[in-house]
Amino acid sequence: MGTIVLDASVIINLNASRIADAVLAAWPGRVVIVEDTLLELREDIRSGRNDAAMVAGLIASGRLTRGTLNEAGLRLFESLVIGPAAETLDDGEAATIAFAAVAGASPVIDERKGRRIGQNRFPSLTFLNTTDLFAADAVQAAIGAAALGDAVFQALRDARMRVPPERLGWVVAAIGRDRARLCPSLPASVRDP
Amino acid sequence: MWWCASWRSYERRNEENTDIVAKVSDVRAMGGGATMSAGLEHIATDNLGERLRIARDAAKLTQAEAAASAGLARTTLVAIEHGQRRVRMEELRTLARLYGTTVNGLSRRDAIHLDLAPQFRKLGGAVDPVVEDATRLLADLVSAEVELENLLGIQRTRNDPPRRPILPGDVTIQAEQDATELRQWLGIGAGPVLDIVSLLELRIGARVFVRQFDGKISGAFAFDDAVGACILINGNHRPERRAHTAAHELGHFVSTRDRPDILRDGPPGQARSERYANAFASAFLTPARTTMQLFQDITAGSSHLSRRHVILLAHMFGVSREALVRRLEALKLARPGTWDWFQDHDGITDVQARQVLGDAAGQDSVPPVSQRLNLLAAEVWRRELLSEGQLARLLRMDRVALRAMLDDLEPAGDEAADALRLRG
Repeated sequence: MGTIVLDASVIINLNASRIADAVLAAWPGRVVIVEDTLLELREDIRSGRNDAAMVAGLIASGRLTRGTLNEAGLRLFESLVIGPAAETLDDGEAATIAFAAVAGASPVIDERKGRRIGQNRFPSLTFLNTTDLFAADAVQAAIGAAALGDAVFQALRDARMRVPPERLGWVVAAIGRDRARLCPSLPASVRDP
Repeated sequence: MWWCASWRSYERRNEENTDIVAKVSDVRAMGGGATMSAGLEHIATDNLGERLRIARDAAKLTQAEAAASAGLARTTLVAIEHGQRRVRMEELRTLARLYGTTVNGLSRRDAIHLDLAPQFRKLGGAVDPVVEDATRLLADLVSAEVELENLLGIQRTRNDPPRRPILPGDVTIQAEQDATELRQWLGIGAGPVLDIVSLLELRIGARVFVRQFDGKISGAFAFDDAVGACILINGNHRPERRAHTAAHELGHFVSTRDRPDILRDGPPGQARSERYANAFASAFLTPARTTMQLFQDITAGSSHLSRRHVILLAHMFGVSREALVRRLEALKLARPGTWDWFQDHDGITDVQARQVLGDAAGQDSVPPVSQRLNLLAAEVWRRELLSEGQLARLLRMDRVALRAMLDDLEPAGDEAADALRLRG
């Protein structure tokens, strides 16, 4: 596994899971967060989640590395934020993809529109989502099934984590059918089959 | 006290790579647009400069302060804001951060930028930051709703009530007549209005937003020919108080719609327009004849007005106990000073209300939020026209709160059936 770049939507889920440090420690590669995402998280102090403080701790401990867009990244960023609304992204999402594109890294982004635009623009990049992090072999081995199930459930319940269709089976297996019923962000067909 | 400010609609570019600007009212007719992103060099400098000026104004920074913080010469910032110099991407990122916004928020082609602050400041005197924040919140939410409508190609249906300028004479008498006339015009009879937010949104076509903000402000109203009536209601206040605020702003819509206002907490203002709006709210929410009829029914056989009577009547109309008693006094159904008597004798408490009403006491008869903006946002998100990050910023919502709202508005699985498909 190579370098990954985390979007704000993923940070929020990791914070809600309460095992962000363990996940990033187990991840077999460098983990980056770009400046724009940091600013976005710092702005969101009203939520009470304190995602920015968690990120600051992860940076201090070396689990996370701050990334800054270079000239090439800025040009890509510009092309992702300027234009019609339907074809652009917010700054944090755009900077995450732009940094990953220049660095040859994998953006980790749960947002459907962000993934669609990113994949169209950069088909060679591998786009990941939060559940890909939880489901990675190294992470599962380090954390264990029971603790991981609790963490995934907390991300679903407290952060309304989005789960792509291809990961629904894994998620339900991890948290169990009973807890799946309590997660409004899961499709109704999964909550109440 | 009422603060008035004129409303100003801002303009936006409508076609790719051109300098054409169009008023908000013209935006819907344009449609179309490019499907590929464009670079900074394709944005009209005057348009972006104006957006930067509005953002700086909203951030309460002078040109000198902003330029110093961004490491620019003041003359450079002035030239950028006047469209005489193209802003560079690094400069735009710096300015966006300084102003608490994003490059995408400033330069997204479909973005709508409304500004109330300059007109408000023309009033002179000390500027209240709480009022400025509420004014900005209203402008931001209206901008968001217009942008969402444009993205979805929706033409908002407006049903502006007839204007009824305030005339010489007793404003309370005029307000009573105007409120009755408006009820007839709306065809809602003389019964209690249990959901005035929906009435304003769906029957009148006003843009209504219920949000939590500083408790010193109850609500705000503004009107623009292009976007219609815009009302902000403080979600921190109790449902019955929110209903009064909504009806009060409706009174301004009827009588003085060309003057935006902010309704502050505290004793009622003495300006004629303020007394009119309060009387209108009272008459609209508690119509005289219906109030008299229900009062007669509820107090039948009683020799005194009791707390129970007040609690039941206030609950029926969805108004506060104070508003109800004062209305009874105005209609001469209760003696002058009745509310003061209750106040001097331990008041009428929530505990007593629960004893009288049981479970109904806790029911929120006024929805906590306006639904239209949320429904538009959910549809835009479902169609992937805006991302979660863009929507959260546009609606000024926390991301998890936004996710919860989107989840709540997700259609149930069986609602995708062809039988429920709407006709085009």
